[in-house]
Amino acid sequence: MELRGITKRFPGVVANHDIDITVRRGTVHALVGENGAGKSTLMKILYGMQKPDEGTITIDGEQVAFHDPGDAIARGIGMVHQHFMLADNLTVLENVVLGSEKLYGIGGRARAKINEISDAYGLGVRPDVLVEDLGVADRQRVEILKVLFRGARTLILDEPTAVLVPQEVDALFDNLRELKAEGLTVIFISHKLGEVLSVADEITVIRRGTTVGSADPATTTPKQLAELMVGSELPSPETRESTVTDVPMLTVDGLHLSETDLEGIERVVLDRISFTIHKGEVLGIAGVEGNGQAELVEAIMGILPPDAGRIGLDGDEITQLPTRRRREGGIGYIPEDRHRHGLLLEAPLWENRILGHVTERPNSKGGFLDPAAARRDTERIVREYDVRTPGIEVTAASLSGGNQQKLIVGREMSHRPKLLIAAHPTRGVDVGAQAQIWDQIREARREGLAVLLISADLDELIGLSDTLRVMYRGRLVADADPATITPEELGSAMTGAAAGHLEHEDGDTGHGGEDR
Amino acid sequence: MRRVTKIAAAGIASAALALTATACGSSSKDSDTTSGSSDSSKLKVGVAYDVGGRGDHSFNDSAAAGLDKAKADFGVEVKELTAKTSDTEADREQRLEDLADAGYNPVIGVGFAYAESITAAAKKYPKTTFAIVDSVVDAKNVDSIVFTEEQSSYLAGVAAALKTKDNKVGFIGGVDIPLINKFEAGFRQGVAETNPKIKVTTQYLTPGSDLSGFSDPAKGKAAAQGMLDNGIDVIYSAAGSSGNGAIEAVAGKSGAWAIGVDSDQHEQPGLAKYKDSILTSALKNVNVAVYDAVKSVKDGAPLTGTHAYDLAKDGVGLSTSGGFIDDIKSQLDEAKSKIVSGDIKVKTTVK
Amino acid sequence: MKKIDKERVLLAIAAPVLALVAAFVITALVLLATGKEPFGAFGTMFDYGFKSDSQVEIINKATTYYIAGIAVAVGFRMNLFNIGVEGQYRLGAFFAAAVGGAVSLPGFLQIPLIIVVAMTVGAMWAGIAGVLKTSRGVSEVIATIMLNAIALSIVGYLLKDGRLGHLDEAGTSVSTTPLPSSGHLFNFDMGEDVGQIYGFVVLAVIIGVGYWFVLGRTRFGFDLRSVGLSESAATASGVSVKRMVVTSMLISGGLAGLTGLPLLLNDTHAYGADLFPAGIGFTGISVALLGRNNPVGVALAALLWGFLERGSGRLEFEGYDKEIVGVMQGVIVLSVVIAYEVVRRYGLKRQQQKVGEELAAQARTKKEVTA
Repeated sequence: MELRGITKRFPGVVANHDIDITVRRGTVHALVGENGAGKSTLMKILYGMQKPDEGTITIDGEQVAFHDPGDAIARGIGMVHQHFMLADNLTVLENVVLGSEKLYGIGGRARAKINEISDAYGLGVRPDVLVEDLGVADRQRVEILKVLFRGARTLILDEPTAVLVPQEVDALFDNLRELKAEGLTVIFISHKLGEVLSVADEITVIRRGTTVGSADPATTTPKQLAELMVGSELPSPETRESTVTDVPMLTVDGLHLSETDLEGIERVVLDRISFTIHKGEVLGIAGVEGNGQAELVEAIMGILPPDAGRIGLDGDEITQLPTRRRREGGIGYIPEDRHRHGLLLEAPLWENRILGHVTERPNSKGGFLDPAAARRDTERIVREYDVRTPGIEVTAASLSGGNQQKLIVGREMSHRPKLLIAAHPTRGVDVGAQAQIWDQIREARREGLAVLLISADLDELIGLSDTLRVMYRGRLVADADPATITPEELGSAMTGAAAGHLEHEDGDTGHGGEDR
Repeated sequence: MRRVTKIAAAGIASAALALTATACGSSSKDSDTTSGSSDSSKLKVGVAYDVGGRGDHSFNDSAAAGLDKAKADFGVEVKELTAKTSDTEADREQRLEDLADAGYNPVIGVGFAYAESITAAAKKYPKTTFAIVDSVVDAKNVDSIVFTEEQSSYLAGVAAALKTKDNKVGFIGGVDIPLINKFEAGFRQGVAETNPKIKVTTQYLTPGSDLSGFSDPAKGKAAAQGMLDNGIDVIYSAAGSSGNGAIEAVAGKSGAWAIGVDSDQHEQPGLAKYKDSILTSALKNVNVAVYDAVKSVKDGAPLTGTHAYDLAKDGVGLSTSGGFIDDIKSQLDEAKSKIVSGDIKVKTTVK
Repeated sequence: MKKIDKERVLLAIAAPVLALVAAFVITALVLLATGKEPFGAFGTMFDYGFKSDSQVEIINKATTYYIAGIAVAVGFRMNLFNIGVEGQYRLGAFFAAAVGGAVSLPGFLQIPLIIVVAMTVGAMWAGIAGVLKTSRGVSEVIATIMLNAIALSIVGYLLKDGRLGHLDEAGTSVSTTPLPSSGHLFNFDMGEDVGQIYGFVVLAVIIGVGYWFVLGRTRFGFDLRSVGLSESAATASGVSVKRMVVTSMLISGGLAGLTGLPLLLNDTHAYGADLFPAGIGFTGISVALLGRNNPVGVALAALLWGFLERGSGRLEFEGYDKEIVGVMQGVIVLSVVIAYEVVRRYGLKRQQQKVGEELAAQARTKKEVTA
């Protein structure tokens, strides 16, 4: 498959221009680039979801034009999306045949075909299990099977490892190698360089919407690849000189929360959570998403009232305070989902600078806003935090993810918080912005800030944290010393049940934190 | 700066808007020749209908019938305008004044809603003769036309009482206002004095603050259906065009009777499908009154003051078309003569 | 930056203009379909609508519609759909008229008393919907619709001879005790033939300025707008959404309660069923939509509405079907909703593109400098 001179003038920050890629049959071809570099747009073009303004796509020497995904599927191109598109309350079989009932029917023939594909590529998919009973990795395999079932010979995988723990990533890569061995082609989109190097046969790097080069995984180091991606020297999250004091800043004691779902089943979301963060300390919480981290953050922010437990900030009890008082009291908040919780997308940047701090200077005096001062301060944040924008009157929606995040970090830091809650602070953020955000957190920590860091990026967690905790099914099940632990060890602790009781990590030297 | 400019802009805009009124000078009344009967060769009659207008098969159409007759007899020129539910006093006044200003004389306001506006318009156009239906306006150039609806409703009550088989009759009022209460009071009295054992059920479609009950056939139909389901077999509705819905519902049940109102609804082409279910109609001969008013101006002796159209003068009555009440004619005639003679005093309010 | 701002202004104007043009075209087609010549109809409306007495009447109508529009707009700004302006307005005007008719104070007390009663009643009535929404999750749309029906019934019940109403001498209509003359608000007299502009227009302007100031320049307004833009972000920022819902319903209802006062204080001086037209609350929704919840935009929309209604009477006089204006109003609202969405999406895309271009240009110049 060849892409030549693909150009897409797209209403976004980066358009694709002059993209040239050659993908050979029977290889795993990785496409790497920062967030917003244009990878997703390119894949949408390839999958027929968008049409290029210029350029040609050639498959097996024949020029093609896709008008919709149906055309792409007919040409043997299938896509596994980052967010799975499965119906939870149907079985695997039903999900696979849904929409392509004509191929093999919906009964025995389809089941036989599924088993055949599953065995051929070692996917281990069971056709009659309900999707809702499957884990993330299994669901991903169902998605892959779905695409193969429709006769795809070329698979596009969009950030497939983002949702997986390290062990699952390895399993996925084994599957990909099987596919390759059978002569299928895999296009693999990622910005996790280590993974890319371990699985890809060829690598194409995209920067600012265009292809800037290709790399041979055998001879390239992650650092070189990253520099190609960013176009400059790469930072690392390492931070070692300890600034931890013994003055407690945030104390959480016996936090408990249970939820009743629609079917009336009570589920414990937070189970007697207790911990302390001291001034100058970064406490990292590791865990597969959905194990209560989001609820923990919301409980500390006062958005979700807990059933029991106490929260103290800098010696004051804040358990009963509303969110606004907590923010005024010195909690800075970088939310997990910045679009839903951190920004007013359709409002200009300077109004977003006010959000969350409307009662504080320079945003207001008395009950009245001070737009002039807020505007001036937004200009300052844009300058100091390197928010790339043509001005402060544009809407937040028109910025790229990294720049939105820099604005949020700048806003929260501008109010000199005592405690910063950072939930996935660098998710969906390009490498350049990532380094800046890490720098900001490190610097603030040096000045005595306490940080609660929640992240799915284990390197980030290990690199930034002074203390690590592992959260599993609403409980803090383990703690670890970031100086000694490896991402693999942390990963296995995150799967909880697999490792059984994990009071302490293997190899933990024990000074990482007090016992639960 | 921004604040000041924005406030200033808002202020200037509103001031400017207010001032354009005076700046632009000419009024809608300037363009025409002076009011009154400038064109005396041909009589021009202006009519302002109540909500619903021509085509309501009821109150407004009754007025329209009188107008049509005058047109046929005297060859007058006619202009008809219609009220909207969103009307304010100013809108109604404007409507009347537009007519008077264009030389229409007489100008007839159909419905009590025009009472205030006719008072104002009559003052402004003293040479024009106005007429108001269903209300009294105290001015020298206004003919106030009122009807004794309670008398015809009494007769309707007598008819209903004699025709019901299950001793259950119903009254549907369009809007709960004094005018419609008169209909109810007469009907109840007529029923009770014919057969005290009969139960009368009353339903008003909308409360007094919501005039939409006069123009919502769906509501009328639903109300009638509810009554029919409760075994009521004669339904008298005084509800403007909403009554059409009630008649439609009654027609759907064999053996049940509808009593129409204002016009002879048996003869209304729009209701021809249901005519066999229309027992009779409590006539309110707005047509006669309108015709009289036009004629008086035509004859050069405009009627003014209050004119009550009652049973004695056949201003109100019961229609006989269809012949469904021929069998009880004697009882009805007896009741009528007692009312005319004053032996029966019909109340105008319930209780 | 200047360029973007200019474009934004253009886009803001583009939507209503687009909507109006579409509405006129569609109305012209409807007129043609009924066998009437459309330009004559428009000509009649304009001729008549710009007469001085028409202008006075349009301003008076617009005053009422403006207040209703702002009442709706307050809710719209935080994604609350107050359909109950109709009921709040009726109830507010009725009780204001009843209280105003029952007491006789000097004007500087009487008029404020009437205003306070109207606002309080309207606010309380809307507040019921707010409390139901926050405590029981009842959609404010459903609640306010039902409250409209109840409000009409309450007014209907109380507006009876012997209760709070008095029967006129003809025995056909009921109204409340007329306000004493101290309850009459001043009018701007524009001359014998032209008429009087309601003094309440001054209050309407104050309401408009107040609306703009509170929303744009106060903490409270910012909180309210942020809930409208993103409820989740507002919650995370520390806004109590529940309290905001109740508060803004109270404000919306309070303003809705004022809607009937231009008529009451400047014209009718009493409440009667036929004195207070139906549907003003719903007109308020149209006007708020058309004016894009902007204080000046709503004013223009209210004037347009007044103009259309004024013109419609004349259309009938000239022999056109009076329903044509109803069609036009409906088409305008529909076109507006569509046009705004189209323009909004276009603007958002356009801005993203602009930002991308400018950043790319910056990057290029930087590169050149370093090279």
